[in-house]
Amino acid sequence: MSELKKSTRTSFAEALLEVGEKNSNVVVVAADSASRYGDFVKRFPERSFNVGIAEQTMVGVAAGLALSGKIPAVTSYANFLAFRAIEQVRVDVATANLNVKMIGTDTGFSSAWLGFTHLALEDVAAVRALPNIVIIDPADAMEAYSATKAMFDYIGPVYMRLRGRKDEPVIFTKEDKFEIGKGRVLVEGKDVLIVACGGALYDSLKAAEILRLKGIYATVVNMATVRPVDKKLLTELTSYLDKVVTVEHHNITGGLGSAVAEFLAEKGSGVKFLRMGVKDRFGTAGSEEMLKRHFGLDSGAIAETVENFIKEIS
Amino acid sequence: MAITKEKVEELSEIARRIRRHIIEMTAEAGSGHPGGSLSCTDILVTLYFHVMKVDPKNPNWPERDRFVLSKGHAAPALYAVLAEKGYFPTEELKTLRKIDSMLQGHPDMKNTPGVDMTTGSLGQGLSSANGMAIAGKLDGKDYRVYVLLGDGELEEGQVWEAAMAAAHYKLDNLTAFVDHNGLQIDGPITQVMSPEIIQEKFRAFGWHVIDVDGHDFEEIAGAIEEAKNIKGRPTVIVAKTVKGKGVPYMENQVDWHGKAPSREQAEEALKSLI
Repeated sequence: MSELKKSTRTSFAEALLEVGEKNSNVVVVAADSASRYGDFVKRFPERSFNVGIAEQTMVGVAAGLALSGKIPAVTSYANFLAFRAIEQVRVDVATANLNVKMIGTDTGFSSAWLGFTHLALEDVAAVRALPNIVIIDPADAMEAYSATKAMFDYIGPVYMRLRGRKDEPVIFTKEDKFEIGKGRVLVEGKDVLIVACGGALYDSLKAAEILRLKGIYATVVNMATVRPVDKKLLTELTSYLDKVVTVEHHNITGGLGSAVAEFLAEKGSGVKFLRMGVKDRFGTAGSEEMLKRHFGLDSGAIAETVENFIKEIS
Repeated sequence: MAITKEKVEELSEIARRIRRHIIEMTAEAGSGHPGGSLSCTDILVTLYFHVMKVDPKNPNWPERDRFVLSKGHAAPALYAVLAEKGYFPTEELKTLRKIDSMLQGHPDMKNTPGVDMTTGSLGQGLSSANGMAIAGKLDGKDYRVYVLLGDGELEEGQVWEAAMAAAHYKLDNLTAFVDHNGLQIDGPITQVMSPEIIQEKFRAFGWHVIDVDGHDFEEIAGAIEEAKNIKGRPTVIVAKTVKGKGVPYMENQVDWHGKAPSREQAEEALKSLI
């Protein structure tokens, strides 16, 4: 991990501009959220639309554009996209598999002081309940960049979670490959499997370091694609790791933890399992660091929880 | 294009067949929405058999005019029109609402050739129609986009988001119809939650507004022609209609919003549609 810090939103905008330069069918629709598209709007004003504070219409307009061969992006605070406009996502986009790219921003704890209305901790659950939509939760700005490129290469609806703070830690490099549906082992260890995504990956990696000093060796997987979750990798890893912990900046219901649990349970893997995330509570105002501590998701708390989990079941 | 007397007669004959299909389909299915299907029949017939540039042999023809049935529960009317137009055999109509049928309870573009947009949750169709109209302008294509809204549907907030956006983007290639039959599930629209005065609301949102009798082919066709010549803003055609039109015992009866006729009732209805 480097000392670099960069916003996933900034990276998304950089990748979008490059994608837009190459493909004139790429268009953007904002709901008073055009700044998220960065320079694309300045470079391609004729391909940039803004319907005002009207997320439902934003998604509907995008569906109409997709039906005429355009590749539209829509964006808003994740809650206003994944909740306010969920029916438009369902009826207009998901059912016909339309090629619409949906970017929910300020997810997890990154909207911080804006408080519970803006803290997106249930968006993945809402979107994951709908068929057809690929869900990506990039761990850092570098991954957000490559995931944005991959999202536009893919034909079909995608929901991508971004954060949008300048101080987001950078984990990867631009050269790191991203492939939809592929998890990646970042650390190998024999004692426990930690599966994380999005903003939770950084602290999971730090937690693995803390655990290592205590003689507990964790395998850490970046599961940036929440759907389709990488079943092949989970199968491989659980053939020799029998303790699994998922970590996400999301409610423990319906997100990464649920996706992994559903797969492993139905497979009859028999692993001991723990979901870490927000435990069926709503968010509250606070800095990102404060909120991570509040919900027991900073690196120290993750390490401690994993350690206790292993002790209890051993 | 001006409409001839012969054309009016032809459209009336087609409309009569469509109405018979609506009765037969909903009776066969044992459920469905005859009232609002019968009220918008003449508008759909004018669009598909006089106005719209479409090719039933090539339903996804990029240059085609588009139609969005925002009041998706009027699916029986749309299906009957598409079948009569030649998108699929009229025998298919008997499969309305059957499992695995291409004709679901509400229009689904995945299943049915000729359906341009999936609808059924009220309030959503004008937004997607906006997207189609914007795409047309972006590509310099001259296709036109038509969308049909219910008058009760105007109670949905999203309609007004989309109305604002259509005027803002000067979508003069977009024409909306309001099927103004005055009734919704819970009763007269003015008693449940009045969307009136509909014309003034759209005018205030920057639209060109035309009033027509929604069962008069000449007026409907004339209004569509007028809309084509309006530049710089979208047009809404507020069509005064009769819910259940053509079946005397259904006319202006709120009960017939979402109830299918029995066999005997269907027979009686068909006698009025000879």
